[in-house]
Amino acid sequence: MLARLIVSFAYFLESSKRYKRVKTAIYNLLENPRSKIKPYFDIFIIFLVLLTVSILIYDIEHHLPYHFEVMENIAVSVFIFEWIGRFWISANLRLRIIKYHERKLELEEKPKLSTILKIIFQQKLQYIFSPMSIIDLLAILPTYRPLRILRIFLIFRLFKIFRYTKSLNSFFKVIKDKKFELNFLLLLGLFAVFMSSTIMYVFEGGGENPKIHSFLDTIYWSVITITTVGYGDITPVTLTGKVITVFLVGGGFLILVLSTSVVTNALSEKMSVVREGKVLSQIGKMTNLIVIFGFGRMGQILAAQLKKGHKKFIVVDISDENLEKAKEFDYLYMHADASSYDTVNNIVFKNDVKKVVLTTNNDALNLSILLSIKAKTDKIGIIARANSYENIKKFHIAKADHVIFPYQTVAEVAVEYIGNSVKFDAIDNILVQKESITIDEIDILEGSDYIGKTITQIGLDKLGVTIIAILKESGKEKFVFNPHHHEYRFQKDDSIVLIGEEKDIFKIKDEVARQLL
Amino acid sequence: MRKIVLFGYSKTGREIAKLLLNDEYEVTIIDENPLLVALANEEGFFARHTSFKDDKILIEVGIGNGAEVLFCVSDDDSLNLFVTLSARNIDKNLKILTKILKKEDEKKMILAGANRTISPYDVGAAKAYRIIQKPKVSKVLNQLSALKNKISISEIEIPKGSAWDGVYLNDIDIKQDINLIFLGMLDKDLGEKFIFFAKGINHKLDAGDIIVVLGSKKDIGLLEDKLWK
Repeated sequence: MLARLIVSFAYFLESSKRYKRVKTAIYNLLENPRSKIKPYFDIFIIFLVLLTVSILIYDIEHHLPYHFEVMENIAVSVFIFEWIGRFWISANLRLRIIKYHERKLELEEKPKLSTILKIIFQQKLQYIFSPMSIIDLLAILPTYRPLRILRIFLIFRLFKIFRYTKSLNSFFKVIKDKKFELNFLLLLGLFAVFMSSTIMYVFEGGGENPKIHSFLDTIYWSVITITTVGYGDITPVTLTGKVITVFLVGGGFLILVLSTSVVTNALSEKMSVVREGKVLSQIGKMTNLIVIFGFGRMGQILAAQLKKGHKKFIVVDISDENLEKAKEFDYLYMHADASSYDTVNNIVFKNDVKKVVLTTNNDALNLSILLSIKAKTDKIGIIARANSYENIKKFHIAKADHVIFPYQTVAEVAVEYIGNSVKFDAIDNILVQKESITIDEIDILEGSDYIGKTITQIGLDKLGVTIIAILKESGKEKFVFNPHHHEYRFQKDDSIVLIGEEKDIFKIKDEVARQLL
Repeated sequence: MRKIVLFGYSKTGREIAKLLLNDEYEVTIIDENPLLVALANEEGFFARHTSFKDDKILIEVGIGNGAEVLFCVSDDDSLNLFVTLSARNIDKNLKILTKILKKEDEKKMILAGANRTISPYDVGAAKAYRIIQKPKVSKVLNQLSALKNKISISEIEIPKGSAWDGVYLNDIDIKQDINLIFLGMLDKDLGEKFIFFAKGINHKLDAGDIIVVLGSKKDIGLLEDKLWK
């Protein structure tokens, strides 16, 4: 009976749009790394933590004014809300219950209450006892009056900050990776401390040294000496004690230096991983991203143009030499092996990618990336560079949206040079923008003043631009070459393709945009 | 037959050689890589191996001796520079087109004696950029190259004593009488530099100036007729 009630409640939640909406909102606020609001919420929580800890410090010597207590209570309420929110979104119980119920239906069995409860408790208890949840709880609990004694745990609120700082997490990961080396050094240190304190105790613990009363004193002395702190409250008096001290200081210095170098080494090794994580989260927030695989010469020129056009793009290459250039120009870049599926998955599939450009000089690699993307989705436009004439066909078979074979295009232009250089210059300038003259397009959208008018009526012919053609979205004739200045009337969704000075074209674009406002 | 020398059977060189494979041109390929020379010969071109110890081979293949154009398109940048320099030294009037890897190298090559430079990476990157940023422009350019036989870029030299000799550009309504797009011109008075009409400068046309137009062969024929009226 109760089991059926829970199951039908799960179905009810599943059908409720409002429930899902609220849950998504909470998820965006607390957990979703891509949401825009989360960073603000994180900063707010860090602020609250610092505030309550400051209140705690102030409280030690002063009597707490009333409004401070109110503030403390508000902060704790926020912490409680936060914990409950995380607890709620930690697992998707309703889906699991529904799944379980459907499986039972197939088997024509009745759902068991015990199994349902097991599903619920297993999932939620797992969350409660996760380290992050324990830190959160420790930050909340001391507020409860009877547990005032636990006030010192308020300091655990500071740990909450770790939750919001990714770099600290990666630091701990680095330490974890060097566990073996650090453990070894720790063991060595412990051994040295134990050894030296024992010898010291044997030689000076029996009344020779008035400062040493117990074995604990020699351990304390040993630790202060080995760490090169050396307070000097306990000093050796016998010759043996002094000899031991010399060795202890030397050994301690070595251990300190070694552990420092282990940690710095590990950090510098992990720097690229940390940086990559940052880049990934950065591109995760972007829309209409362009991914350039291969940062050779073609990739570099393309990136420079995209940067000029204020497009968002990321460069992927495996050669450090090439990436050095990307670093120099401050592009987003990723050092990765593009032939591995993980790379493509992390950079292309997990983000909002509009276009992928394959510019490596290796056709096999270009084809492999092309196929991994096309196998999964057809929505991303892919522009591929072919490096040999024989392979162009293969790119078409692999369904590349555009194939560029630069050598052929260049040859076609080069051959024009045999005749008269004038034609060559014209084509070269149109294909590779060398001066301020550019070829561009202007879209005529609905609501534009241009619709129904001719080129002379608008005055485009007086602006010093050369109109090459009109492209039409619909209709029989898709392409109007050299439209007649007095006769052709613009229609909705026309695109004007024209040659002109960059600034003139910008002026026209600006005017067209203003008409729509 | 017009004599053309092609230095470097690189990917670019191969494509140029393919385009020039007709009765109009006599193409000689030279390369310092014997494997590429063998490949070129195998693919039906006339290719010779050279080591560039002296300029003898350049003279033998026709530099300064009837060759009209030299393409320096090997994959080795410094060799391209060397051959450009050597050839310019032999023949002051030779037209030399040299491949460069990046824009910054252009000045260097011009200084060495190249008339024009070209970079496959520039062209490739510009094409990729157009597809991303200006999809309609790339559509139109594709259309134009697909319609190659119908619409193409041509150059017309203004003959002495023709209708347009000594006329200001703005005074003639050239634009709408014939279905041609006037892209730009080379003004003999202003040196060897191509000027787009879109720059908006009013030029005086003289005999010997060259106009570049975009349009069909038929319309270009009409324009040539008109010039004599």
